[in-house]
Amino acid sequence: MKKTYGWLSAFVLVLLLVLVGCSDSGSKEGATEKEGDGKKATKEGKDLVIAVADNFTTLDPHDTNDTLSNSAEKTMMEGLLGFDEKMTVVPLLAEEYKANDEATEFTFKLRENVKFHDGTPFNAEAVKVNFDRLADPNSGLKRHSLFALIKSTEVLSDYEVKFTLSEPFGAMINTFAHPAALIHSPKALEEFGDEVGKNPVGTGPFKFVEWKPSEGLKIVKNDDYWNEEFPKVDSITFKPVSENGSRIAMLQTGEADFIYPVPTEQVEGVNGKNGIEVDSKPSIVVRYMAMNTMKKPYDDVKVRQALNYAINKDAFIKVVMNGQGEKLDSVIAPDVQFYSQQELYEFNLEKAKELLKEAGVKEGLKAKLWGGNSSSTVKAMEFLQQQLAAVGIEVEVVPMESGTLSDKIWSVQNADDAELELYYGGWSPSTGDADWGIRPLLGGADAFPPKSYNVSYYDNEEANKLISAGLQTADENKRAEAYADVQKLLWEDAPWVFLSADNTLAGKKNYLKGVYLLPDGSLSVSEAEIE
Amino acid sequence: MLRFLGKRLLQIIPILILVSIFIFLFVHMIPGDPARLVAGEDATIEDVELVRKELGLDKPITEQYITYMKNLFQGDFGKSLKTNRDVSYEIGERFMPTFWLTVWSMSWAVVAGLIIGVISATKRNKWQDYLGMFGAVSGLSLPSFWLGLMLIQLFAVTLGWLPSGGMDSWKSYILPAFTLGTGVAAVVARFTRSSLMDVLKEDYIRTGRSKGLNERRITWGHGLRNAMIPVVTMTGLQFGFLLGGSVVIESVFSWPGLGKLLIDSVAYRDYPVIQAEMLIFALEFILINLVVDLLYGILNPQIRYE
Repeated sequence: MKKTYGWLSAFVLVLLLVLVGCSDSGSKEGATEKEGDGKKATKEGKDLVIAVADNFTTLDPHDTNDTLSNSAEKTMMEGLLGFDEKMTVVPLLAEEYKANDEATEFTFKLRENVKFHDGTPFNAEAVKVNFDRLADPNSGLKRHSLFALIKSTEVLSDYEVKFTLSEPFGAMINTFAHPAALIHSPKALEEFGDEVGKNPVGTGPFKFVEWKPSEGLKIVKNDDYWNEEFPKVDSITFKPVSENGSRIAMLQTGEADFIYPVPTEQVEGVNGKNGIEVDSKPSIVVRYMAMNTMKKPYDDVKVRQALNYAINKDAFIKVVMNGQGEKLDSVIAPDVQFYSQQELYEFNLEKAKELLKEAGVKEGLKAKLWGGNSSSTVKAMEFLQQQLAAVGIEVEVVPMESGTLSDKIWSVQNADDAELELYYGGWSPSTGDADWGIRPLLGGADAFPPKSYNVSYYDNEEANKLISAGLQTADENKRAEAYADVQKLLWEDAPWVFLSADNTLAGKKNYLKGVYLLPDGSLSVSEAEIE
Repeated sequence: MLRFLGKRLLQIIPILILVSIFIFLFVHMIPGDPARLVAGEDATIEDVELVRKELGLDKPITEQYITYMKNLFQGDFGKSLKTNRDVSYEIGERFMPTFWLTVWSMSWAVVAGLIIGVISATKRNKWQDYLGMFGAVSGLSLPSFWLGLMLIQLFAVTLGWLPSGGMDSWKSYILPAFTLGTGVAAVVARFTRSSLMDVLKEDYIRTGRSKGLNERRITWGHGLRNAMIPVVTMTGLQFGFLLGGSVVIESVFSWPGLGKLLIDSVAYRDYPVIQAEMLIFALEFILINLVVDLLYGILNPQIRYE
């Protein structure tokens, strides 16, 4: 019997420890704040661990449509062009580029003396092999559509390559900078074929070691990297950690040096403690509530504007985004190319009511608001519901699981049959160009579901003209002009209630430099450095 | 006995075929278009159609089922729609982590649960009983994600004794196995207590006592053995559930297991992975039930199998 008492007391002890643990974590915050404030964390060795929220899906950039996998690919592979911290296009494997005025021909001069990790030299032929693969309609690659316009890729000399498009596309430079245009070693493409997504070989600062979908990805320093300044760390391990609290704990214990994302509600709790810094940066993710402009009463611009006036955007950011965002002041976010700022619809209930009255909308208008079923989305929709109640609109919030939601939206073949009234959603134009921020969402009948994402069923002839004008030329000034005009028009015509632009939130130890998130939510680790 | 075993094992095949039909139908009945989900957020309709063709989802459902069954009989579960890897690889990667975690969680939980249950039953309405049942009720009612995060906070962040997650060494097993086993231990304790209390009222126990057998022999030998049948049934069920992987534990401790895979696959409508996982779960339950049946025979020789 003595033995069993031993067991029992052990169990009780553990139970007590747990209870202590709870009370401890409550009182601890004050204590660590004092000792941790401003203190520099230290690290031995140059091997980084980065905890991310999900598993990578593939390491073949041509077949990738999630930003997270793109982030991993960018460590090992490079494109002709890339994006810097502000999403501005910068040359990478190309040294210079030029386009003709019609935006149909693009010529690149390539960087010389660059080698892939397998020793294959990087040259015009390698570029051609990659873009031929992307442009092939039978490839079945998920990113084919971005490059479907490429009619031919010509090798002009060893280090010069020319792309000819089948029609003008002014946003092509940004498409070349998109992570989908990263370049594989032609030898690897030949050797691995479709399996290249498990065997990435590029020219990047890091080389592939091992990838187990459930446990993570390991990469090591490429000693022969063309930019001798980098890389400055020996290895990086990416680990998928889906639970927010666990990711934070890994940063606290030092098991991870960098985590992404940090949930908005935890920023206050960890920032500045245990040598942890939270980086909050503007992203290009926009949040909006789309209104079906073919349905009554949302076919009336007065109603759409009224709804814009009826929502308190400051409160939206404070309540829904925990303060981590900015008011959206155009249809695209500031870091998207050709953004032009518009004058905000200031929160004004009187004006909203007046506009609704003018439009003949009576109190008690019923509306259904569709959206996803994640807790943050539901919170946002409930906020909108409550705000619109103040102007007499009774909103029914309809959260749906993602598959169901996409079925409801994209199974509609005829715009007149669309059930959708209001839709809460977000968009991140992965090319960083105004075109991809506007055309798929508001680009007229060509973008109606199921073809694309125009859930507002917005079809305005003038807007369509401007959107297409932006693509007919590679002349930056002419493009900027077209997009400035279309942004103004869309703002006034208000097919959306414009809400906010998200911030990206990453947590890191304060000895870590050079790891940051781009506004598109992808991670850059090439310049990682431990101080 | 051997004939019984052989018969039961043979029965598995028709059951699995039936199960596979149901799984296939249910999986395809979930609303949502995998082609669109696979193609991604900003894919155009051309992409979606391309993906649909690539995945063979443009074919009629009966044809899809026949292909699926044909491949299944050759031991080919197909490829994951999401990652394009073999389903057998995706599941193989995660099966052993889930299996070992289940084994360790069950081991401590059953031992602890039995001890607490027996003590509570023999010391009925004394402080030991109250303490034991207080522990059991707490174990059942603590949400496991909360318990897990608290344990991480205490043992990983504050004390720094154990890793906060992952599966790197034997140390990595301690926190998740403890968290996962807590609920099981509590259930086992409660079942043991009530079952043993019933048994201890039986005539043969009184006979034993009057014969002068010592109390320990009565409780642990005669009593517990007879009280085990419901406990074994329950434990078998719990074992089956745990083998399915726990989404909560796997998320909290970044454990590379089957539960997270299933949830991810459902979100992605990754038909081949969902189907294969469900089929494996069905098989696990059938096998566990068989083992439980055999254990009945050992515990109570009066139970005979034909």
